[in-house]
Amino acid sequence: MVTMGLLLALSFAVSLLALAFLIWAISNRQLKLDQDDAKVIFAAGDEGHLDSPDAEHSPARRHYFDAATSGIDRISKKPVTVLLVAATVWLIVGSTFGLIASLKLHWHDWLSAYAPLTFGRVRTLHLNLVIYGWLSQMGVASMIWILPRIFHTPLRAPRLPIIGAILWNIAVCLGAIAIANGWTDGEEWLEIPWQLDMLLALAGVFFVIPLVKTTIARQVHHIYVSGWYFLAGILWFPCLFVIANIPYIHSGVEEATVNWWFAHNVLGLWLTPLGVGTAYYFIPKIIGKPIYSYSVSLLGFWGLALFYSQVGIHHLIGGPVPTWVVTLSIVHSVMMFIPVIAVAINQHVTVARNLWALKESLPLRFISFGAVMYTLASFQGSTEALRSINTVTHFTHYTVGHAHLGAYAFVTLVMFGAAYHMLPRMTGRAFPWPALINAHFWLIVVGFAIYFFGLSIGGVLQGLAMLDATRPFSDSVTVTIPYLEARSVGGGLMTLGHIVFAINVAAILLPRRAMAAAKVVPAE
Amino acid sequence: MTADKSPRKDSAGRPDENFEPYELHGKMPWPLIAIAVGLGIWGAATLFDTREDVAAARDERIAESRVATGAGTEPGSALFVARCSTCHQPDGMGVRGAIPPLAGSAFVAQGPELVSTILLRGIDGPIRVGDHNFNGHMPSFASVLTDVELGELATYVAHRFGKSSETIEAAAVAKLRGELADEGSFKGGTEIASSTALELGSQPPFVEQTAVSLSPDVSAMIFTGRGEQWACASCHGDLGQGKENVPRLAGLPADYIVKQIDDFHSGRRQNESMKIVVASLTDEEKRQLGEYYAGLRVPSNAKPELGGNLARGEALALHGDWSRNVPACFSCHGPSGFGVSPEFPALAAQHASYTASQLAAWVGGQRNNSSLDLMGRISRALSDADRRAVADYLASLPPVPAGEDAKIAKIGERP
Repeated sequence: MVTMGLLLALSFAVSLLALAFLIWAISNRQLKLDQDDAKVIFAAGDEGHLDSPDAEHSPARRHYFDAATSGIDRISKKPVTVLLVAATVWLIVGSTFGLIASLKLHWHDWLSAYAPLTFGRVRTLHLNLVIYGWLSQMGVASMIWILPRIFHTPLRAPRLPIIGAILWNIAVCLGAIAIANGWTDGEEWLEIPWQLDMLLALAGVFFVIPLVKTTIARQVHHIYVSGWYFLAGILWFPCLFVIANIPYIHSGVEEATVNWWFAHNVLGLWLTPLGVGTAYYFIPKIIGKPIYSYSVSLLGFWGLALFYSQVGIHHLIGGPVPTWVVTLSIVHSVMMFIPVIAVAINQHVTVARNLWALKESLPLRFISFGAVMYTLASFQGSTEALRSINTVTHFTHYTVGHAHLGAYAFVTLVMFGAAYHMLPRMTGRAFPWPALINAHFWLIVVGFAIYFFGLSIGGVLQGLAMLDATRPFSDSVTVTIPYLEARSVGGGLMTLGHIVFAINVAAILLPRRAMAAAKVVPAE
Repeated sequence: MTADKSPRKDSAGRPDENFEPYELHGKMPWPLIAIAVGLGIWGAATLFDTREDVAAARDERIAESRVATGAGTEPGSALFVARCSTCHQPDGMGVRGAIPPLAGSAFVAQGPELVSTILLRGIDGPIRVGDHNFNGHMPSFASVLTDVELGELATYVAHRFGKSSETIEAAAVAKLRGELADEGSFKGGTEIASSTALELGSQPPFVEQTAVSLSPDVSAMIFTGRGEQWACASCHGDLGQGKENVPRLAGLPADYIVKQIDDFHSGRRQNESMKIVVASLTDEEKRQLGEYYAGLRVPSNAKPELGGNLARGEALALHGDWSRNVPACFSCHGPSGFGVSPEFPALAAQHASYTASQLAAWVGGQRNNSSLDLMGRISRALSDADRRAVADYLASLPPVPAGEDAKIAKIGERP
């Protein structure tokens, strides 16, 4: 008897086999290509005997490229500066709204006199500003910096991203005003009205075209793993964003399904590629050692591509969606262990073998902390999708803690590290007060630890209280209050850290004359 | 390839600024392959496993559509056991002095049409069956049984106890249901005899219940609210029918209602909304409210909604669970759960969410007003699934006494 479960199980098994074969084939072929490439360097007959001790001719020398003198960075600098500054402004505004929302959960009547400052709108503003204002712009900045460097060619059409940034910021600003005044699409993560989303999508085109043109004009044959994530991200996200925002085609349960398909994919197919791609570039870059394994990179990337798109429906466990859709989503969520472990092996092994670099480089400290949080957030997310755990933790503050572990501790920290690494190279100056970078790091790490453990513990207690029919519902609210207060303390420290970050950015971009005169080597 | 040279460092010991990240060709670690294969097998097995859930859901839909379309219902005997035998007894002999027998009854002998009429309308008044007078409390099954089920049941009862060879089809029941829509329950045997013009022997006269006189103040309180107190009807409905977590009040004993109002006031029952609305009631007002709701006759708008196991709920209601020291609900609350005034409220047709939440409240201590902590002890012995099962089962029972369909249809189920 052919049943839905049998069909699903079969197609799932077949696609896994195909994936395994694909990775095996590509990694074998690439290995051969690389060896052939290496041989090209030697003239026929030279091969096999020692030519000269000069490192210029060793195969490893191929992995050195001077991005600064070749003028690549000079061209990327402008759009990156514009995006980074705009992102920093939205980070401050967005986290302030987040802090207000957090405080409102235990100071219940605070700021409730004006509709734009009520919890529902403030929380929504926080979400949209940090996702579209901060993370997306900072991620695009990071892509614009990294892609030309790994492709050994300057950014093509470098004015377009600046136009895109202007449009994007206008759209984010209008979106924020719309949300504050109660005009929304009414779906989580899709609150910005679709009319304004069209402007965001248009702005996105201005980001995508230069990156694609640069890719086509690349001077290297092999695309480094960061490039896969970035190129996939700029393909995936526009598709997600446009499909989820087209009005009037989905309704009812379908709308909810599309909603969570989108909301979770923003994390997995947009912010994750940005964060993982950035970490994949900067970790070896800063340490000066290669990544462990090409075939493991392949598994990590294709695993994400194959499994992630179905993950979001685990938010609808128990909802009126067909059982097999939910089960498929749970299976895919758990399968995410595979790409996450793959990325973890490649990134953490490189850092763990070079712990000295963590002491020396502050940017690396941010980035590898973020990379470790990616591993933890993904493991946590996979387990949260299981029905037994979802029953307790879903619809509680635990989920909020998890969301911040992914979007904050992972992506945002990686982006902070990227900014700290890029800024001295963009400006040719050093940070005037390196101690403030250290202060920023510890403020947000301590703040986040308080935030995360507070919400996770409070969330589980809240979930257990809600499941216990013998306790009144109000118990599930009062039990969380001390943890919500802890969250505000943690959130306050994080916001303070962001202000320190903004000071650092401003200090290096707007140097006082005396400092500008003394150009220093970037402090790593 | 092992191009992993030690990094070129400048004089300060830093890596070369121009180093380009690249990947070595390290082998895929075998634990990673093992994990991937293991998870792959688990995933395929889990997806394969959903076929049971999918099949179960399909069977459920088929069963539901059968009930809805009238194809393949249970035979009348199963319905009789579930719906009639708790009062009329499995042998149809009734209970002397309390519940009239079906066997040998002149009413049943008239055939399935009269039986279905009585099933549809219910009886709320004195009736004479055989040589005995009974105080009739027959519920109306109009709200809980489909036309097909009523036809099957009436045919079965008339055949078994009235020796009738006639049958009644669902279509005929539907027609009857349409004709009787606004009739309300029979006011005892007299009305049955007079309205059907059948020979049913002498029937005792029906004595009209003295109408409850509401003071304008209490009337305002029920329907429009008074001062700080919002209207009773705003939550309990215009006819005291209740909804979801708000209890059905119609037909509850007046003394019981008054006691609950006092308990809300004193805090033995904790409920923020009720605490506010009962705060300023006088004893006279409480009495009037109790009598008003006790006199209401409303058909059931409750249904199983908690996904409880109805068979388990039925077992608890009929037999209890002595392995946990839980007595049968009906041993105190009366056969079919129609209540034993004034201490034991009717459970039949009470909303499932309400019943389950009250059982939970006894466990959690938010309700602490049961004599000798009877309900507290019982509730603590029940599991969460049991509480839902029994609440769902009780919600599936018809209310006693029967109500008048038309009233609720006209007024609608306002929350």
